[in-house]
Amino acid sequence: MTGPGRSGLAGAFTVAGVVFLWGPLLVVVLFSLHSTAALSFPFRGFSLRWYEEIFSSAEVRSAAENSLIVATATAATTLVLGTLAAYGLTRTSSRARGPLALLFFLPITLPGLFIGTALLVAFARIEVTLSLATVAAAHLVYVFPFFFLIARAALDRLDPALEEAAADLGAGRWLVFRRVTLPQVWPVLVGAACLAFALSFDEFIITFFVIGPDSTLPMFIWSTLRRTIDPSINAISTLLLLFTLLLFVVTFALTSWSERRRRGSAEPLVVPALKDAP
Amino acid sequence: MLRAGPLALAAPAVAVLLVFFVAPLTAFAVYSLLTGAFYEVSGPLTLDNYREAVESPLHRTLARNSLLVGLFAAVASVVFALPIAYWLRYTRSRWRMVVMFLIIASFLASYLVRIYAWRTILGSNGLINSGLDQLGVIDDPLTFFLYNRFAVTVALVHIYLPYVVLVLYAGLAPLSPAYLEAAQDLGAGRWQRWRRVVLPVAAAPVASAFLFVFVLSAADYVTPQFLGGTSGGLLGVIIQQNMTAQGDYALGAAIAFSMLGAFLALYGVVALALRLTRLDRLRFVS
Repeated sequence: MTGPGRSGLAGAFTVAGVVFLWGPLLVVVLFSLHSTAALSFPFRGFSLRWYEEIFSSAEVRSAAENSLIVATATAATTLVLGTLAAYGLTRTSSRARGPLALLFFLPITLPGLFIGTALLVAFARIEVTLSLATVAAAHLVYVFPFFFLIARAALDRLDPALEEAAADLGAGRWLVFRRVTLPQVWPVLVGAACLAFALSFDEFIITFFVIGPDSTLPMFIWSTLRRTIDPSINAISTLLLLFTLLLFVVTFALTSWSERRRRGSAEPLVVPALKDAP
Repeated sequence: MLRAGPLALAAPAVAVLLVFFVAPLTAFAVYSLLTGAFYEVSGPLTLDNYREAVESPLHRTLARNSLLVGLFAAVASVVFALPIAYWLRYTRSRWRMVVMFLIIASFLASYLVRIYAWRTILGSNGLINSGLDQLGVIDDPLTFFLYNRFAVTVALVHIYLPYVVLVLYAGLAPLSPAYLEAAQDLGAGRWQRWRRVVLPVAAAPVASAFLFVFVLSAADYVTPQFLGGTSGGLLGVIIQQNMTAQGDYALGAAIAFSMLGAFLALYGVVALALRLTRLDRLRFVS
């Protein structure tokens, strides 16, 4: 049977797409294991020397620590503020709802360059010293829309009858949220917070303008790329790749698990979230 | 007692975005109307920065590059992503979730690592050249891959393709296979199904994905630094330089807001085109 989905051409594009997306990344992984400093063929054999090099580097360690601090602060703040905002907006019929949803979405539409430069100017104006705190504030602006869209999609699709029933039975607003709403959506919220963490952990474009003298992992990679061709970058990149992949597996598993629980389909919530974007 | 509505829960987020997003951008806009030097700005209000932003030959060259790279990257991403999104939506293959996973996961792969990977692959000592050299195909390295607009465009497509696939996939979600089967039953061939059913539905998401890639590509300042060389510089680079090494906040702001104006104009054109073709008001009966 040839259904409409049986398009060989679309399948070929898909294979080409996956190869195009993953090929260059796998090249980096391959050369992180190269026994010589050459980043070209022929491949001369495997070794872990580049990993040993980065694990003994104090500079890499402190950059990684800073990245962890910033990403944790960003993800935790986003989780709290984003959940409150998404819950508030999905449980009101106020006319402010539309404009606020737009405000929460807006940072996604602007290139990071604009957010970074505007914050640089603003921090200089009010004489705030650039530090990891200013980086976390900037990242909060950047990741908030992603979290908000996913959280709102999850909260929007809950059956309101459950919350109403709990309220009718005398549960206060906080109790309803904690005992009825949260148990239904927490996997999605945690998944979205992981996404926020991953986005912050890898952010460079905005970070560059608001970081001051500190370093993060992307800042370290950037400065190394500018100075020399250093093969240890392959090893750092590979670890970074594995780490974000791990975070993503958690996000994917949590959101698709919660979807499957809800209605038997395994679509990760990223998709409906994108659909709701203005 | 006055009880705050649920909307009050959004107050902290609103406050954060007002302080760290709306206020800085407003200040930045005001800066574009002042005179800047040595990381300071001073009055009176003037449009001189905008004049320089638009008239300087260097800015014009970079703006042209930004336009070309943005267009190429956006068109290539959409053309590449549309069949992939179609496959993800309608295939019955058991690889569907695996491919979906691989595409979303690659979205999170580090931005700098991707740029670095392309430099490794396209460079004169890179994988393509060393591979061809090993095979005896070439003697001298081919240099037309790297340090030009082509390299920048390839890397940008690589960076934004996963996002475009997801947007288009989400756009096709309401078009159930039943519509395509109905079209087939009514005698529409493959090409007609694409033109009359899939493309009209995909038009609005295609437009939004196109704008997304165009804007982010045209304003990129890191990719051109590593891959663009002398011919592939973009407008974002000059903004970054004014904000850092040059210390001219006012001129940097004026170039940035000129670019934003161009983006808004393009957005208006695309929105108008969708409205005129009535593709913005497709509704599905469920």
